[in-house]
Amino acid sequence: MGFQFLINILIMLLWASLQQSYHSSDLLIGFVIGAIAVYFLRGALNESYYMKKVWALVKLIGLFIKELVLANYDMVKIVLNPRLKKDVKPGIIAVPTTLKYDWEITVLSMLVTLTPGTLTMDYSLDARTLYIHSMHVDDRQKVIDDITNSFERAIREVGE
Amino acid sequence: MFELVMDIGLIILSISVGLCLIRALIGPTTSDRIVALDSFGLNLIGLICIIMIQQDSTAYVEVTMIIGILAFIGSVALAKFLERGVVIDRDSH
Amino acid sequence: MIEILISIFIIGGCLLSLIGSLGIIRLKDIYGRMHAATKSATLGVILIIIGTFITFMGRGTLLFSLFFTILFVFLTAPVAAMIISRSAHRIGVELWENTQFDELHDSYPEELKPERDNSKAEEISTR
Repeated sequence: MGFQFLINILIMLLWASLQQSYHSSDLLIGFVIGAIAVYFLRGALNESYYMKKVWALVKLIGLFIKELVLANYDMVKIVLNPRLKKDVKPGIIAVPTTLKYDWEITVLSMLVTLTPGTLTMDYSLDARTLYIHSMHVDDRQKVIDDITNSFERAIREVGE
Repeated sequence: MFELVMDIGLIILSISVGLCLIRALIGPTTSDRIVALDSFGLNLIGLICIIMIQQDSTAYVEVTMIIGILAFIGSVALAKFLERGVVIDRDSH
Repeated sequence: MIEILISIFIIGGCLLSLIGSLGIIRLKDIYGRMHAATKSATLGVILIIIGTFITFMGRGTLLFSLFFTILFVFLTAPVAAMIISRSAHRIGVELWENTQFDELHDSYPEELKPERDNSKAEEISTR
């Protein structure tokens, strides 16, 4: 990952010095050329192409923004609901997670906080279980499945 | 027209700040007051941004950042104080 | 034309902030209030800041430091929400009576279980 990025930067500088101009547009063209060159060199470097990871990161950020907007739509519905007492049934759920690294669990808990109707409250001592306060716990299994299927997968794509 | 929109925005945000203040005054527990003051800080950032547009001045950019940092650190320090009785843990276990 | 776009961003952000404050007033326990304060207020502030950035871009100044404010709010809001709700739960702030189940309370060790009683929380908080 780091090595491929270094080669990409080197090709960018080489391109700019061959052009004898260091404007941002030249550097950008050099960067694109470097990315293409690294793509063809990827077999010799024994690693998967690093732009794949960057693309997974972009997808994760897109997921963040989409979930934030959906969460606000949900929140508006809850706050402006005149029959609050009947419709809203909150509860605290224990959600097991299979993610390994600390930063992955941090990102997962942030993502859960910004999704519709859920809020991370605590984690167990070995950081394998998150405790989540949810506004809609009619279907407890559905909340857990949502988190495991979409968010954990998106985070794991960036991590590997 | 544009000036009117900015004024309406300021009015809405002032109502919002007022509601936060009410919760901070009546909140039954200290945690409620912390939540209200945290949200108060976020609303202040919005107010300062609109005032920046109205006065056509970029002098307040750093102010928004500082208020964001102070609101976060204040909430965290108060929450830790409520939980443990201290703000900074001397021993890690 | 650009003024209409800015107006949409600013008014949308202000209304979302208002929704957040209304939620803080209307919802019945601190955990529900935490939902409103985190989600609505965060997106509201982000929309207002984007509107400000577009305004100054139209007037010929690029204020990239505003994006640091967005990044900071985006990163810190979930952390603050987690720490405040965790401390509230540990000192024993009462849950709303509609709450269906509380699996976090079961996970505490026996000697650390907080008493789920509002008068206790009041006593701790005014100490």
